[in-house]
Amino acid sequence: MKDSILIRGLCGVYRAMLFGYPREFRLQYGVEMQQFFHDRCRELVRAQAGSGLWFRFGLRNLTDWIVSTVRERRAARKVPGTRKLVQEWAVTLLLFLFVTTTLVQAYVVPTGSMENNILVGDHMLVDKVGFENGGNNWSSYVLPRREVKRGDIIAFRYPEDIRQTFVKRVIGVPGDRIHLTDKQVIRNGQKLDEPYARHSSPSIDEYRDNFPTAPESFISGGAQEMLARHVQDGEVIVPSDMYFVMGDNRDNSLDSRYWGFVPDNYVVGKPLVIYWSYDAPTSDLATWNLAHLEDVALHFFTKTRWNRTLTVPRSQAANY
Amino acid sequence: MPKPTDLLPLTPPVFHILLALADEERHGYGIMQDVARQTNDALQLGPGTLYGCLKRMLAAGLVEESDERPDMELDDERRRYYRMTALGRSTVRAEASRLSEAVTAAKARLRFAGGKE
Repeated sequence: MKDSILIRGLCGVYRAMLFGYPREFRLQYGVEMQQFFHDRCRELVRAQAGSGLWFRFGLRNLTDWIVSTVRERRAARKVPGTRKLVQEWAVTLLLFLFVTTTLVQAYVVPTGSMENNILVGDHMLVDKVGFENGGNNWSSYVLPRREVKRGDIIAFRYPEDIRQTFVKRVIGVPGDRIHLTDKQVIRNGQKLDEPYARHSSPSIDEYRDNFPTAPESFISGGAQEMLARHVQDGEVIVPSDMYFVMGDNRDNSLDSRYWGFVPDNYVVGKPLVIYWSYDAPTSDLATWNLAHLEDVALHFFTKTRWNRTLTVPRSQAANY
Repeated sequence: MPKPTDLLPLTPPVFHILLALADEERHGYGIMQDVARQTNDALQLGPGTLYGCLKRMLAAGLVEESDERPDMELDDERRRYYRMTALGRSTVRAEASRLSEAVTAAKARLRFAGGKE
């Protein structure tokens, strides 16, 4: 018995409707369900069903389809297949990669040069698009951005080794004249009132505290060039597209005094939020090691500085 | 080992599918026809409902696929036959007695309530 056009048409529609079911279910039962539907159609034809019966048949199948597709999809969601799992995680992974490469960067503070404002073991996210020079230009159309200002805490690539990221405070922007007298920073002839600065040693180191004088110890090439080309009348003059940065922990900070200016395009961004602060020594934070993992596992709750979690390192302009 | 009472109460489609398989193995379409006979056409299973139920019943161990092909008249390679397991049989028995107790309780209560009218 050859199928009528009606049966073939209905079966075609039903075959298309099968795609409403989850893939696994369709592969498992789709053929049988088509067969089932086909049998039902043939039976109605054999019984010479009137239009009323066909209509009821159609309505009933539509209801069945709606109810069972919803149920099967929900069931499929509970136990996702490998394929689905890969798909979902791929999206998550792509988003993660996008966010971590263009918008923010996770950063661990390994040294105490910014104490007491940023501590050793602070894990922070750095906002990579907040500054005008922070790399990507397209984001300036969608996100608020501003120039790097004096007093800003910035994350930047260490000019002597760009694989390392440093966090320091901007003391001088292009054109500023800077020198120190007995630990006191003097910018453009004004003494800075720096409530954020900390002095851990009472003794005076000639170069460190009366900068820029003749260095007594080794300073790197960048600092030597700064001293040779950008010092005028005992003051460092910050050239264009450069910043002079210092750690808040003034007596214990390797900063612009020791390695020179930070070029504008080395600025990564500004610290956004400290998401985790864990009390650990510098050596453990600089490189990952098993002992550190063990330490975290054992002392996560006691050595985490909970009061620092989700705090924002504040930029603070110096008062004159 | 799952107990027959674990899955109670059964949904009407599951209950009637098990009843349809009580006396013989059937393919999907045969199950639908038998369920319609059992219920005087009150329950007409659509393909989505039927195979969705069968999928869950297979997973729960109430039914299993059969290798035999008893229905020679309507036979087709694409048909799969389903058969009730021992767990399926004890489960549908437990459900039937549960229902019968419920019906007894309902009858007693309704006769009482009806007397007040």
